[in-house]
Amino acid sequence: MSWRWALARRVATLAATGGGGGAQAQRLLPTSSAAAGTGLLGQHHMPLASQIRSKVVGCRGAALVSSRWLHDAQYQVRQDGASRPQEQQDPFELVADELSLLANRLRSMVAAEVPKLASAAEYFFKVGAEGKRFRPTVLLLMASALKFPLSESTEGGVLSILADKLRTRQQNIAEITEMIHVASLLHDDVLDDADTRRGVSSLNLIMGNKLSVLAGDFLLSRACVALAALGNTEVVSLMATAVEHLVTGETMQISTSREQRRSMEYYLQKTYYKTASLISNSCKAVAILAGHTAEVSMLACEYGRNLGLAFQLIDDVLDFTGTSASLGKGSLSDIRHGIITAPMLYAIEEFPQLQEVVDRGFDNPANIEIALDYLRKSRGIERTKELAREHADRAVKAIESLPDSDDEDVLTSRRALIDITERVITRTK
Amino acid sequence: MLPGRILLAGLRRSASAASSVAQSPKNMCYWDRVIWSSRYFHSASDNAFSEGGSKAKELPDPFALIKDEVSEVTDRLRSMVVAEIPELTSTAGYFFRAGAEGKRTCPTVLLLMASAISTDMSDPIVGLENKPRARHMRVAEITEMIHISNLIHDDVLDNADTRRGMDSLNFTVGKKLAVLAGDFLLFRAFSAAVALDNTEVVSLLATAVNNLVTGELMQLTITPAQRCSMDYYLQKTYYKTAALISNSCKAVAVLSGQTTEVQDLAYQYGRHLGIAYQLIDDILDFTGTSASLGKASFSDINQGIVTAPILFAMEEFPQLREIVEQGFDDPSNVDVVLKYLQKSQGIERTRLLAAEHAKLAAAAIDDLPASEDPVVLSSRQALKDLTQKFLRRTK
Repeated sequence: MSWRWALARRVATLAATGGGGGAQAQRLLPTSSAAAGTGLLGQHHMPLASQIRSKVVGCRGAALVSSRWLHDAQYQVRQDGASRPQEQQDPFELVADELSLLANRLRSMVAAEVPKLASAAEYFFKVGAEGKRFRPTVLLLMASALKFPLSESTEGGVLSILADKLRTRQQNIAEITEMIHVASLLHDDVLDDADTRRGVSSLNLIMGNKLSVLAGDFLLSRACVALAALGNTEVVSLMATAVEHLVTGETMQISTSREQRRSMEYYLQKTYYKTASLISNSCKAVAILAGHTAEVSMLACEYGRNLGLAFQLIDDVLDFTGTSASLGKGSLSDIRHGIITAPMLYAIEEFPQLQEVVDRGFDNPANIEIALDYLRKSRGIERTKELAREHADRAVKAIESLPDSDDEDVLTSRRALIDITERVITRTK
Repeated sequence: MLPGRILLAGLRRSASAASSVAQSPKNMCYWDRVIWSSRYFHSASDNAFSEGGSKAKELPDPFALIKDEVSEVTDRLRSMVVAEIPELTSTAGYFFRAGAEGKRTCPTVLLLMASAISTDMSDPIVGLENKPRARHMRVAEITEMIHISNLIHDDVLDNADTRRGMDSLNFTVGKKLAVLAGDFLLFRAFSAAVALDNTEVVSLLATAVNNLVTGELMQLTITPAQRCSMDYYLQKTYYKTAALISNSCKAVAVLSGQTTEVQDLAYQYGRHLGIAYQLIDDILDFTGTSASLGKASFSDINQGIVTAPILFAMEEFPQLREIVEQGFDDPSNVDVVLKYLQKSQGIERTRLLAAEHAKLAAAAIDDLPASEDPVVLSSRQALKDLTQKFLRRTK
């Protein structure tokens, strides 16, 4: 969750400064260097051009450049004759070109009559967790994983045209999902009067606030138009449910009572609403657009749901541990904002006295230290990781339960989806 | 005027029928409909007579004609915004509580429009006629939800403390929860729209939503040059005020299976009505409840929003342009502009423009295909009367 806060601050400054902070760009650099074949490729130097770009356009540009570079490098490697094992292939790479296409389409869709808004919204499309466009990648891979087999003889024929049309519609789902996701970020980080009253009511901040709300509204309304264009009632209702869940989850977070804040069940429900619902409903939408059965659509939904939950649980861990394995080196932004996540909830189960500490709130940094102490002593972090692993396994099982296929594309995509679950669990930022 | 004896016969008939069903067009037999609609016409003449001949003819209340069905809409809206968690239900339902509903202009216009264009009201007993009416009510509900969602966000954007004579939602629960409630309403409305299973209707409503945002954006990011442009102002006004009602009127026509001509007429009515409404609103911001300048809120100009009266004044006094371009952070600028406005014909010309749009709205109704059905006729009259009512309002 910490990266969301970082991104939110940038919206406020973007309206005024029109640029990105260099320090934060560093934090959000992609892990592609860590992910694939650093051993073989040696020192990973980012090309100078992308360093400049990361200052101007934010890290998304850098990510694109570096991933492209990596792709070429991998290609080079394969050409050199070494038989690389299949797992080394970056799953995000499989759909990188398609993602560029989507990004361009999104950019023109977002090009409102008002340039100021377009730049604020566009900025977000360039950045995501680990610098990658997580959701669209998963959705496009899911679309591929669910492809019905096309026989060779129909190349260029009617069926192939229909397949292209379907792909476009599935891409639209990816775009819509991204629009909804970004809109929710923008709206979630609208400041309350309480915050502005602390004296931070500079014009920039207020402008950023207004622009946040409007930019979010704009994205949501465009999503409505795009959804209407798809003309599929079930899909629209899935995405509408997803939005409702996002709103519900955020409302739950703001307005939790003390009892609710202690409850693991409440926390998991809120987590589902806030993080997993969007990706699971859109995975399901992708399947439905393809005309799959209810069973298959449910499997797609299950994958998304479990992936989303695993992702958030690890996010919670990382907020404590950061890139090091040790506790307290993370940004601790959750706890500072009074958000009690899974590790802490597990720790409270082991040490009931921690509850009192939590109830006191965390305005006082000393209290944070005490809580971290308990957390260190407990198995909170481990149990959260275990739970994340459980969800990841369920996601994998969902993919494995999909109907058999011989199509190379389909199999590669399915492997990639499984690979993503692994990366989600093992990531360190 | 209907012959007295027929009227009397009908009155006796409806009295003996002793119907406990709510008096709305959909569940009345023919004579009851005659009575129902004639009540509307008669109330007009009654008012005129009782108030004395010299006074301007009092209009019947178009809102009263359809108020039962509008109440049904409001009731249903309350149930439509129930969410998974009570906090969300209460914020989303804030403006649907009893006493908080406002004038409900949107549903009134839409339901009247549904009746006005209807060609299939001949036999209310056979369930067929009820079905289309239900779908029209859905459109009314959806439109009202979109409208409220927009109001809620507008209040957040404007930092407004009050709305409809009570605390605004953001004042009550904070900006963030208000923004979220608005989002929730929007997508509930959208789901309901999709459930109507008519892609054109969904498309129209999505367009309307988009237009609302565009209008707000036009306001937020206005340049000094744009601030002086009547075209820009009218376009923005269309987006912010008229787009929703015009697209929903068209949606009602589409749902009724009407021809494109009728759809367009419905759209035009909504459009001109919306613009006329906003123009009067702009005047009232200067004149308030008194006819002269000085008793009103001036909230537009204090927020730096330049409206039609000022734009007209600028045409008469070019020197005003420079001040307007400067903006209104300096309060002395506001005073200067108001002085010019008083000297100018700005208010009057705006009123004329509003009247022009009201006329065009009424003309659209007149162009609808002829009908003999009394309910159709009285609904059309009510729609026309509504345009006049808007012109005459003082608050």
